[in-house]
Amino acid sequence: MASSVSPIKTTAAGYVGYQGREGHYAFLLHRLTGLGTLLFLLIHILDTSTVYFFPALYEHAIALYRSTPFMLGEIGLVFAVVYHGVNGLRIAVTDLWMPKRWAIQTQRKAVWTTLVISVILWAPAALWMLYNMLLHNHGINILPFIGTH
Amino acid sequence: MTTQAKVKPSFEAIAWRAMRYSGILLIPLAWFHVYLQDVIVGVHAIDIDYVALRLDMVAWVVYDMALLAFAFAHGMYGLRQVSFEFIHGERARRNVSLLILGLWLVVSLIGAVALIGGARPELISH
Repeated sequence: MASSVSPIKTTAAGYVGYQGREGHYAFLLHRLTGLGTLLFLLIHILDTSTVYFFPALYEHAIALYRSTPFMLGEIGLVFAVVYHGVNGLRIAVTDLWMPKRWAIQTQRKAVWTTLVISVILWAPAALWMLYNMLLHNHGINILPFIGTH
Repeated sequence: MTTQAKVKPSFEAIAWRAMRYSGILLIPLAWFHVYLQDVIVGVHAIDIDYVALRLDMVAWVVYDMALLAFAFAHGMYGLRQVSFEFIHGERARRNVSLLILGLWLVVSLIGAVALIGGARPELISH
């Protein structure tokens, strides 16, 4: 019994040190995007609830969400939600209906596919959010052919 | 030779399935919400009057209620799973589970009350 080693240290060491390549990175990215989305969701439920409980506070929350650091965070959040969904679909479909596909070589390829699909779904949204952020917060129009709206 | 016995599925087994089915459901539900509000509408076009208009429509309240129920439960159960990777003692696991359950109930209740109550921009004094 290795009781001298704390479980937290053991798990953290496993998170970092395990050499599972693609599957390992997907595992870590799934946790990171999931926990990140949950943290935002918790704050989002509470601040949106102010529309009923403390309506005057809602304006402050929205002003914060419109700031450049928060908008950059929201662009990251969209990636987190998209990636967590695509990768989660890989996990759910494989677990529920095709467990035989849980072979390392098959999944290594699938991990790359999920990443490519996620970036394709995220990039246009990210560009549009960046356009809005630069236009409203800095007066810069990076999509001049669209004009301002 | 295989023999199959009917075993009542445990809480963990039901939760394992629920995470996968709710995850699949959340793909259209959460993605549409994020793309609509954060990308197409955008935070610069959202204010309390917009929220009031939206929450006056029963269909959106039902939609948001489903999102609140499924997304937050999915996330909080996920948090429990991740915390179990770090916490191995039986007592500690039970305490963490109760803490997460309590937080989930309180925040869900706050969200649900606000959704049903709707936005009250008339209470803001300018």
